[in-house]
Amino acid sequence: MRALDRVDLIVKPGEAFALLGPNGAGKTTLMRILTTQLKPTAGEAYVFGLDVVRDSGRVRRLISYVPQEMSVWTDISGYENLLIYAKIFGLPRHERGEIIDEVLENMGLSQVRDHLVGTYSGGMIRRLEIACAMLIKPKIMFLDEPTIGLDPAARKAVWERLRVFKEEYGVTIFFNTHYMDEADLYADDIAVMNRGRIVVEGTSGELKNSLGGEIIAFKLEESILKPGLIREIRKLESVRDVFVEDGRLSVSVKGAESTLPHLMNILRNEGVYVEEVSMNKPTLDDVFLKYAGTRLEEEGRISEVAHTRYMIRKG
Amino acid sequence: MWEALKNIMVMIELELRRLRHDRTEIYFRAIQPILWIVIYGSVMGSVRGIPTGGVSYTDFITPGVMIQATTFVSIFYGLMMVWERDSGILKKLLVTPASRYSMVIGRSMASGVRAISQALIILPIALAIGVRFKPNPAYFISAFIIIFFASGGFAATSILAASFMKTRERFMGIGQAIIMPLFFASNALYPIQLMPPILREFSAYNPLSYVVDAVRGLLITGDLSNIIVDLAAITLFDTVLFILASISFRRIIE
Repeated sequence: MRALDRVDLIVKPGEAFALLGPNGAGKTTLMRILTTQLKPTAGEAYVFGLDVVRDSGRVRRLISYVPQEMSVWTDISGYENLLIYAKIFGLPRHERGEIIDEVLENMGLSQVRDHLVGTYSGGMIRRLEIACAMLIKPKIMFLDEPTIGLDPAARKAVWERLRVFKEEYGVTIFFNTHYMDEADLYADDIAVMNRGRIVVEGTSGELKNSLGGEIIAFKLEESILKPGLIREIRKLESVRDVFVEDGRLSVSVKGAESTLPHLMNILRNEGVYVEEVSMNKPTLDDVFLKYAGTRLEEEGRISEVAHTRYMIRKG
Repeated sequence: MWEALKNIMVMIELELRRLRHDRTEIYFRAIQPILWIVIYGSVMGSVRGIPTGGVSYTDFITPGVMIQATTFVSIFYGLMMVWERDSGILKKLLVTPASRYSMVIGRSMASGVRAISQALIILPIALAIGVRFKPNPAYFISAFIIIFFASGGFAATSILAASFMKTRERFMGIGQAIIMPLFFASNALYPIQLMPPILREFSAYNPLSYVVDAVRGLLITGDLSNIIVDLAAITLFDTVLFILASISFRRIIE
């Protein structure tokens, strides 16, 4: 089994790069290779010109990494966590205090610096983890699902801080996520990954435009459609693409207003009963649906990971 | 080398900080060894069936029970490494410039901090029930340095075992399965001469016996005739286990 297959990616310095993909797409494996934790069985990867296998030691001096799982000690304070990491990173003694104060301030944790991490909320723990990653002012920061299991306010807080870091220090941010809105809002470039391959790459605008004009979505009574029907729809000149997913028929069209009556006619002739119709500009979700062939089962997955994080905290 | 020493110091500092915030584990873990000394020691001592070379039986087993307690601490320290694998701490540590072997040795030696605090808690109780220690500060400090270094070896043993046992539940069983044979097939509770030949053979390869012998000599009997052999055995044990644990460490993360 190949976890990754012919992945070919270039990330520009100073940008925020989002890697989207369903579970098991290979996002975490790719990140673990780039952060020198795993050796690729074949192929090469470079971080700022350094080979992740041969120059792994030097790569580790340039990068920071925030794993998906919780990565701070809960039985000491936030400040102590930063102090231990600062020493492991080998920050010079006279700069240490100042840098720790600065990252605490930047991450909005100055008030709780001396509290035990066990008393922190999920969002605070995430910000502390990012603060640890910021200690060395990395050239590139790898974040594996940075906001998983956080409530919307905490997610926003995390991203606002990250954005400040990116702008102030020119840090490149490489993150895995399955929150479409997050990739849409904060990433300069997005790659969609599925079954170990990069299926499409570009800015959020480029990806949406690649779907053509608008999307007409039908909610249908029955979930199985005859192939003939789809062939019929594809024949229409203004139709770019058709995709079906349990009881939903999405048609990407140019000029939704003029195409809709034709589509309704075809469906009526085939005896398909339409429950709802909506017309939308494509969203990143539609991009994902087209290229990864599935919507992300967000709810199940998030609660599962949130549960894991919770269990880990409980020890 | 300098880098490894620095990382060992950082890991020791981490343990000291954790202990400063919460020592409940150490207190609760002290109950069992205290029962050994107070109850088992006095009952078996009154039988007078075990030749202890002139010291009382309670005095004889006190170092053994102390070492058993500290070995427990260091073996279960490996469990913490498994815990850290489940969390992201280990992954994050591996992406720092610190070398893998310095992490393994650093974490192992950090268990010595817990081990020493464990031994220090048992000490006043042993004194209270009348165990006579050699009143020699140099011996005393040497004994604790030996406990510290030996703990590193036992923690490395548990890291090695943990790299094969990937779940906490399995490891709990393995932890017990390592410690109890080490304890009973050692000179902790009775002299090796009393053992059946096969066990005596095993005891010669049991690192715990050498640690107990050295610490008993320093704290209780003052008999240091075997100390060179003991120290050599402990050094060899630490070195081999540090190397094996560093090699197998990769398995933990993959």
